[in-house]
Amino acid sequence: MSLSIFSVQLLTGLAYGMLYFMIAAGLTIILGVMNIVNLAHGTLFLLGSYMAFTFMNQQFSFWIALLLSVAVTAVIGIIIEKLFIRQIYGKELEQVLLTFGLAFVIADTAKWIWGTEPQTMAVPALLDSSISIGPMVFPFYRLFVVLIGCLLALLLWYFESKTRIGAIIRAGVDDRAMVSALGINVGVVFTGVFAFGAGLAALSGVLGGPLIGMYTGMESDILVTSLIVVVIGGLGSWKGSFIGAILIGLIETFGKIWFPSLSMLIVFLLMVVVLIIRPQGLFGREVA
Amino acid sequence: MKKNILIFIVFLLIAFVLPFVLSVYGIDLVSEIFIMAIFAMSLGLIMGYAGMVSLGHAGFFGIGAYTVALLGPHIPNSYLLLFFSICLSGLLALVTGAIFIRTSKFYFLMITLAFGQLLFALAWQLKQWTGGADGMKVSAPLNLGFGEIVSPIGIYSVMAAAFIIVYLLLRFFVESPVGKIVKGIMENEARMSALGYDVRIYKLLTYTFSGALAGFAGSLYGFYNLFVSPDVSSWMFSGQVMMMVIIGGVGTLIGPAIGAGLFIFLQNFISTYTERWPIIMGALLVILVLVGKGGIIHWFALLKSKIFYKKRKNSDDYAPQHVEKEEVVN
Repeated sequence: MSLSIFSVQLLTGLAYGMLYFMIAAGLTIILGVMNIVNLAHGTLFLLGSYMAFTFMNQQFSFWIALLLSVAVTAVIGIIIEKLFIRQIYGKELEQVLLTFGLAFVIADTAKWIWGTEPQTMAVPALLDSSISIGPMVFPFYRLFVVLIGCLLALLLWYFESKTRIGAIIRAGVDDRAMVSALGINVGVVFTGVFAFGAGLAALSGVLGGPLIGMYTGMESDILVTSLIVVVIGGLGSWKGSFIGAILIGLIETFGKIWFPSLSMLIVFLLMVVVLIIRPQGLFGREVA
Repeated sequence: MKKNILIFIVFLLIAFVLPFVLSVYGIDLVSEIFIMAIFAMSLGLIMGYAGMVSLGHAGFFGIGAYTVALLGPHIPNSYLLLFFSICLSGLLALVTGAIFIRTSKFYFLMITLAFGQLLFALAWQLKQWTGGADGMKVSAPLNLGFGEIVSPIGIYSVMAAAFIIVYLLLRFFVESPVGKIVKGIMENEARMSALGYDVRIYKLLTYTFSGALAGFAGSLYGFYNLFVSPDVSSWMFSGQVMMMVIIGGVGTLIGPAIGAGLFIFLQNFISTYTERWPIIMGALLVILVLVGKGGIIHWFALLKSKIFYKKRKNSDDYAPQHVEKEEVVN
């Protein structure tokens, strides 16, 4: 493998890793705070991606489409939490099933509206060029996705460790009952966390549009990958998701080149190895 | 116990009479229901009796189905094929279960989901053997020693017999001392561990048994459908089976089977009217979760206790679902 191919694949792997981080960050925090494995998370990614596609067909710019679809998906997240998940507080298995039913409904609705033909999204004009260093060529857009991912990680770290809301969320992961006993409105926290996760999933979907495109069954692929990221990184840990997502992004990208038919197996084996060594994930705390 | 035997005899009679009253399509549909009922009961065993919620059970089903499809042309003996399917899926359940059961509730759910999806991806990607997304034909005639079974009634009888055998096996397992221990572990793992039981061995045993049964159901499906595609291993299918279990009622043996019957019937019924059946099934699941009180089998119990107002608290009947397992750290 020549240096030029290697470097561009490295960048691609990192860009995919950032997309996985965005979606897994939402998943892991919903799981950590609310104790729900949100099986509809992949469909929120799909929804964000398709909505941006539609907005762009309506002559909106990529950036406006990005903002709009993230906002709309976050609102859908609020609706899902308030209308459905709220109704069966505390029954965790039922809540998981509920999200499964919603995944069914949303995925099929998306199929209904946007059809089964794979779609592609154009790279925004501003970023549609590349930078070359010697023999190595780096597409701007992938660099941009990596940058956004790193910025988001920084922002989340700041938010989690320096702000009051971050402290509440950290406390929520550790002991929900105690948080509510301290007089904090847990319901609002739950709604906020769910909407935030939904928005992040949409962000990942829109940014991933020019890289991955949109196809039927994408929601399952992305859900499974992000679940693996959460398992590897550890429950409720953004740092773990970040590291895990980059690992998975790189391994998947290079796995596809070297062992095209076994890339999924390699990712899965990585998860198994992590589980054997650390059942609670790389950055998960002992109590899971 | 006497009541159970009575219900069992009634069921046998119905199963015997059905082929005479149903159309060929109906017989075909009920055969499929029997297969799915076996599958749902296998998942119901680990969910309702061992507290392990898996979203990757279709993986074992797929192993069974693909074993029949791949080995069928080379092994003419149906018994041997079924045996291989059961052994392979059981073995896989044993190996993966040994890793998976080390984790807690939601991790288990996520990991099994990833595992099922891995088998799905393998079936999809190993094109030279499995035909990839196009699936593959099963060229293994079902022959149990008295000629090839091809007629709908023949298939029906085999599936009905398989269902009854699996049900009796499961009943036997659940009532055995091992089954009681497993249930004890679900209700209070720490206590059973303190009593000196090796919790992991019992959980692993149940998981392996359940995986083998799912593989058995899968191989029957291969013989029945004569075509397999990667979809038999997808997590959506695992989720559908979980829906069957939940619709029927967790914590009972026959509940999941009833759920499977209703699910397959509804799916066929709705899909004759609209291809948008996933929306309707999804919405039904949402409604069921929001207002359902633990599945059909528990509605019967509720209804019964309402009609014959007994002193016995009916909460006993649907208690297993609400027993919150105390979180135990490995």
